[in-house]
Parts: sequence; structure tokens; C-alpha cells
Amino acid sequence: MKLILYHLYPDLLDLYGDRGNVMALKARCRWRNIEMEIRRVSLGDDIDFSQADIVFLGGGSDREQSILVEDLSARATELKQAVEEGLVMLAICGGYQLLGKYYRTADGQEIPGLEILDLYTVAGNKRLIGNVIAEITTFGKDLSELTTLVGFENHSGKTYLGPELKHLGKILKGYGNNGEDGLEGVRYKNIWGTYLHGPLLPKNPHIADQLLGAALSRKGYDANLSRLDDNLEKAAHTAIINRFRNS
Amino acid sequence: MTAVRFWLGLWLGKIIGSVLKFLGKKGTTFPGVIAQKICPDIIKRLAVAFVEGTVIITGTNGKTTTNNLLASILQTAGKKVAFNREGANMITGITGTLLQNTSFTGKAKASLLLLEADEATVPYLCRQLTPNLAVITNFFRDQLDRYGELDTTIRLVKEALPPCTGLILNADDPLVAQIGGGRTGVFYYGTERLPVSRKESKESREGRYCSRCGDELTYELFHYGQLGIYQCLKCGFKRPQPYIEAQEVNRKETGISFRVDGDFRVNGDYEIPLQGYYNLYNALAAFCAADRLGVSRENIRQGLISFVSDAGRMEQFSLQSCLLTLTLVKNPTGFNQVINTLAGMGKPLCLLIAINDLAADGRDISWLWDVDFETFITKEVAINLVICSGLRADDMALRLKYAGFNEQQIVVKHELKEAMALLEARQFLSEDAVFVLPTYTALFPLREILTSKNLGKKPSSGQTKAECI
Repeated sequence: MKLILYHLYPDLLDLYGDRGNVMALKARCRWRNIEMEIRRVSLGDDIDFSQADIVFLGGGSDREQSILVEDLSARATELKQAVEEGLVMLAICGGYQLLGKYYRTADGQEIPGLEILDLYTVAGNKRLIGNVIAEITTFGKDLSELTTLVGFENHSGKTYLGPELKHLGKILKGYGNNGEDGLEGVRYKNIWGTYLHGPLLPKNPHIADQLLGAALSRKGYDANLSRLDDNLEKAAHTAIINRFRNS
Repeated sequence: MTAVRFWLGLWLGKIIGSVLKFLGKKGTTFPGVIAQKICPDIIKRLAVAFVEGTVIITGTNGKTTTNNLLASILQTAGKKVAFNREGANMITGITGTLLQNTSFTGKAKASLLLLEADEATVPYLCRQLTPNLAVITNFFRDQLDRYGELDTTIRLVKEALPPCTGLILNADDPLVAQIGGGRTGVFYYGTERLPVSRKESKESREGRYCSRCGDELTYELFHYGQLGIYQCLKCGFKRPQPYIEAQEVNRKETGISFRVDGDFRVNGDYEIPLQGYYNLYNALAAFCAADRLGVSRENIRQGLISFVSDAGRMEQFSLQSCLLTLTLVKNPTGFNQVINTLAGMGKPLCLLIAINDLAADGRDISWLWDVDFETFITKEVAINLVICSGLRADDMALRLKYAGFNEQQIVVKHELKEAMALLEARQFLSEDAVFVLPTYTALFPLREILTSKNLGKKPSSGQTKAECI
């Protein structure tokens, strides 16, 4: 069994330990004897999304992000098609915003996104920073008893989902998508989009396994993942909940 | 011929430096003496390799602290800086610092150079390089015997500074402030009032008279010494309006807090973990310089609050028959340097890593995932045990698991005291190396335990400090 993960612009989007998501997926494959090949893709590289099983897009600073928007826009059609065909994708923070229609800056300028999902982002006048706990509302098949999502957000953009789109979770603590509607992230086909750093997957192993399961089943493999010893993962997850739930 | 002299100076200087270091000597100044003898303009030739240029810090007091505070802020902002240590602020010491921060191939190991310079060295230094910024802290009478009149020193510094060098000046010290007269690119820092500020002063002080017209200065408020809110009623010279001005200055048990207003969206409250109002000035000087170097207020705040003086930087204690080293970890770059040091020791290791996430540590601990703990695995370093402690002990343990550590090697003990007790209860051999690696707010409690348990602070002579850029 083998999965291919495309890590998009790892050299540009290297903030907030988001590479930990890739580490988590790779380790969780290794522990189950599933081979995972990581392909680092950056500016100007050829990307053939039809070969990818999982695509990871992290967040970066504004400057880095504006550089890569141009590069990625050229492949937006191809990526959109792959997404419609069930490509598994995890997009964090800036990467999440990028999936939408546009990002409206403070002076009203609309920077176009990849238009893969019906969502948009508006620049806020306050940074939304802190620990986040969300209750997962759109749940698939699960191996663990975790039903929450924990992480750390740090964004000033406020993201709003179109009427057809489902959110990933409901905020119990923190701001989430925009600090207004109590929603966090997006779930569409095999896309997971979220503002949560932390990084997300090591402390939310149930989400990591959902991604792996989806990728395996799309490739025609048995998606029933063997159970791992997640004691440390759960301890780190529940430590956040116990400490910040009522803070 | 000059190129030959340069390479000879660089290599010989570096080789001598390495030999001295190997012998356990400090080795900054002597290699500088040799390199200067061989190639008199070696500073000029080495300094050009630092692509973001040079900042010099001069004045009577506070040069070292200001330099270190500025380095702390710039490192927080992710900049690679090289800076000289206390006592290496004259020509040979500066040369030695440059040698240490340049590779054998002539490449700079950092992009920005911070040089604390003795006042008398400034003229020479400015003939060798053109600083982007020059920070002047204050002028007091301490080096009178060395350089003659204080006024002469001030005049020499003033005349030496190239016109295109931006100046960061203490507005509250009339002797420093007057240096900005008639120049462009001058940015002042100061404070509106200190808790100790008075309407009258009985202290003997410098700069009693206006440096422009010679008339006596009138003070609205004295902060300390000649520092305060002053003006000359005759010629109109007065304290310039600071670009960075501290308000609401208060002493706290842990240091000094103050406000600097800026953009309304930015939190204007700052804190330094240092006592003494002179350190507020050092912080404001570093603040102002960092701002001019394009550092965000958030990074300035973080750099100031997480500043650590020499305590907790590769500080050594003895534990049973082996050595325990305490060193602060606060960002991926620093942590990676520590890891590389540990991996290169060739000793069996026992680690206590304490990660907190309070304001001074940084609330977001995701940076742990940007640290290359994998180095321990790929270099097959023998690690007997890692005790993970602090508020984020679980995150640390998880990070190690995903780096490839065996879960049997990891123990989680949230309480610092318990973690330390666990460490002490182990049997160590003399060849073992024990490292305690805390983030900022865990550093002092752990240090307290180490000192109080009478673990015997090891004299540092003969032990070379790890050089951190």
C-alpha cells in the first residue's frame, strides 16, 4: 500500500509548525506499514494532481502568500477537478482562505482566490489569536472516542462560508472562522479546511486518520485502519480541553 | 597583495581563535590583534559580507544590555544577527567577533551585525564601515581619565558618524540629543516620566549647560542625572519630541512595565524582566532601533519580555558526578543550536525539557514542530531519558514521539518540582550529560531549585560557553 502526499510550497508556507501535519500523516502510515511518499512542490514545479492522494497546503505570511497565489492560480482548474473527483486535501489558515473566492483587504481590494470552494474572507481589524476548542459536527467513520478539535488560531482574516458549505466544527472556545457565527473550518467532499495550527493533526489523530482513510478508500485500498496506541495524542488533546474549556 | 593579507589575516585569526577555544580560553581579542597586524583594514573587508549591514551601539552606560536586548528582539523576529560580547568593544575585540562570525571562505554566518563600540573606537570604526544605524545610550563622566574631557569624547563621536547613518538618540540626555542637531534620519527615544522623576535635583550632573549657546539648561523634570525634560531659555534648544516615548512607567516585582502608543490596533503595553530605570532606557534604545529595522511591535514586545541575561544560558551545575547544564530554549533556531551541540557531544544524554505557554513564553507552542528533534534520531544519539515538564509537557512528549523517539524514553511530569526530583533520583555516571531545557517562565523556577538544592554551581572557568549567534 502506498500513498503520495503533495506538500505544497513547504519553503514558502513554513509558519507555525504546520509541517507537523505532514509528519503526523507520514508517521501514522509508517506505524501501519503503509508507505507514504512526500513530494515537496514549490514555485514553478510541475504538479500533476492526478497522481496525488493527499494535498497539504499550509499558511504563510502575506508576502509569501501573494507570491504563490499567482503560481497556484495557473493550476486552479486542474486542482478543482481533482477535488471534485475526491482528492484528499488539508488546507490550514492562509491555505484555507486561498481555497475561496477572494480575500477582501482593509481598503476594499479583492484578491482573487482559487475559487474551489464557495467561501470568502474579509480582512478584520483585530487579530484572532488563542487556543481553540471546537465540537466536530460533521463526523464520518471514527476510530477514536475524540469528538472535539483542538488547536491554536492566529489570523486577522474573517472567513464566511456559502450556504451550501458545511463547517468542520462548532466553536466551544476561541473565535473560529470569523468570531461571529461560532463556526470553524470547512468540510467539502474530501477537503478539510481550518484555521487551526497546533499543528492540527498530531493532537487530533482522529482527523489524521479520517484523511488517511479517505485517501486509501479513494485509491481502492481497504480503508479500515488498524488502531494505534494514541495515549500521548489523547493526553495532549484532553490537556487543552481541561485547561482552556472554561477559561 | 592586499587580498593575500586579507585571507592570511582571516585564516590565521580563525585558527588562533579555534586553538584558544580548544584550550578553554576566551579567545576573541588576541586573534583580533593578529588579524589586525596582518591586514589593517580587515574590519572593512569582513563587515561588507553582512548583507543587512551594521548597527553600532555606543555611549557610556548600557551598551552591552542594549546590544543584547536588540539581539533578543531581532532574533525573535527571525533575523540572523552576530554581535560582540561585553569587553570585546574595541578594535581588536570587534575584529575577533567578526572573525568568529565569518567562515574560512569569507562568508558571514549572519546577515546583520550588531557592534557595541567603545566611544573612542567609534571614529576608527566609522572609517572602516558605514553603520546603517548608530545608537547612543547616554554620556556620563566615567571615562574622563581615558579620553580627556567628556565634551571631547562627545565631539569625536559626533564628527565620526557618517551623514547617511541613521541615529537612535536618547532624547532625555541633552548631551546625546544635541548630536542630532542639523541632521536628518534621527530618531529619539525617551520617557515622559519615571516614578522617581522630580522637579528639582540635588545630584551633581553632566551637561548642566546648553551645548549650543552655553547658557544653563532649565528643567521641567529630572529623571536621573542630567536625564529629564529640559530646555534652553536662551537659544531654544530643548528636549526633542521622542519617536518612541515610554509612558506609565512602573516598577514591578519582575521588572519594569511601560506603555508606548503606536497604531491603535497594537497593544501598547510592554515589560522588561530587568530592574533599574537605566535598563528602561536600554530597552527603549533597543525598541527604537528595532522599529527602524522594520521589526513589528509584537516581536519587539516578545523580544523584550523574554530577554535573559547570562543566567540560564548554558549555565552549569554539578549533579552527582556529572555535569548538568541549564539553558533557555525559546525558538526553533535557538533550540536547534542546542540540539546540534548535544548531538555533537558523543555522551549519553538525559534531558529535562520544560515547555510553558504563558505570555513571556509565547502562547502558541506550535514552534516545537519547527524544531528538528529528528536530529537525535538520525545522528543516533544515545538518550537514556527525556522528562517532559511544564504546562505543555504533553505537547512536548507528542512532538518527540513523532520525531521517532521510543515512548519508553519519554516521561511526562507536569510539575517542575516533580520533574526535577525524578531527574535527581536517577543514578548518573561521570560520562553522562544532563541538560535542563526550559522556556522562559520555567527557567527561573528550575534555576531556583537547582541553586537551593545545593547542587553546587560549577565554576565556569575552563568551560567554554557555547557561542550562540
